[in-house]
Amino acid sequence: MINSDIIRGHLESVILKLIIEKDMYGYEISNLITERTKKRFNIKEATLYSVVGRLQKKELIDSYIGEKSHGGKRRYYKITSLGRAYYNQKLLEWIELKKVLDALLEDRK
Amino acid sequence: MKKIVNFVRHTFKDIPKQGKEEIIQSVTELLNEKVEDLIEKGLSEQEAIDKTVVEFGTVEDYFVNFKKQEKKMRRKKTINHYKNDLFFSAVGSTIIIAIIVFVNLYYVPSTLWFVIPAVGILFWPLSILYNLLNKRENRKDEKDE
Repeated sequence: MINSDIIRGHLESVILKLIIEKDMYGYEISNLITERTKKRFNIKEATLYSVVGRLQKKELIDSYIGEKSHGGKRRYYKITSLGRAYYNQKLLEWIELKKVLDALLEDRK
Repeated sequence: MKKIVNFVRHTFKDIPKQGKEEIIQSVTELLNEKVEDLIEKGLSEQEAIDKTVVEFGTVEDYFVNFKKQEKKMRRKKTINHYKNDLFFSAVGSTIIIAIIVFVNLYYVPSTLWFVIPAVGILFWPLSILYNLLNKRENRKDEKDE
């Protein structure tokens, strides 16, 4: 299980990425994160909601009430154009960071 | 679903008033969605609620910097409080000293005895100034950490 402090700074990008793929509601996002990481990382609802709230405040995502395929109403989130731009920016940052860390931590002989 | 509302209210009971209702409302909505999903998956309502509550985490997970922010705000409040105290003591001691000077000059202009009680009274604003400066010093230390 990954230390949640390390991943915290990247949660915004992760959630944006998932919402870009398709509109989702809260629990769906957390489920998908668990599933994709094969249970290695499990986001706490409290953390997820605070990040989502922050993204919404920054107008990177938008929300609407939608019908689920069978039954209940859900609050779905969808990406805004600002969010898409922000995500692309973050993605570049991450690629850069990955390169830097690889260069620093990789074994040298 | 009442249980979820109560749980959320309890979890967020100590957060600053500003935006509190909004947070409680949105978190309740999201958790209710989760409970509904879990019930759909075949859990009983009780199980679904328990699972949701357990998996939620703590208020610290919600506010990563919550504790720090709160501390900062409290410190700011104390300093403001001290500033008010200092203002009050300055005004208060000025009035008292003015009265003493008046009584002194009016009744016994030959001896200037007012200086002695005036020095005593000046220690009132001085002690508060000391406190205020001390508090500020502490704040600087904390920033350095």
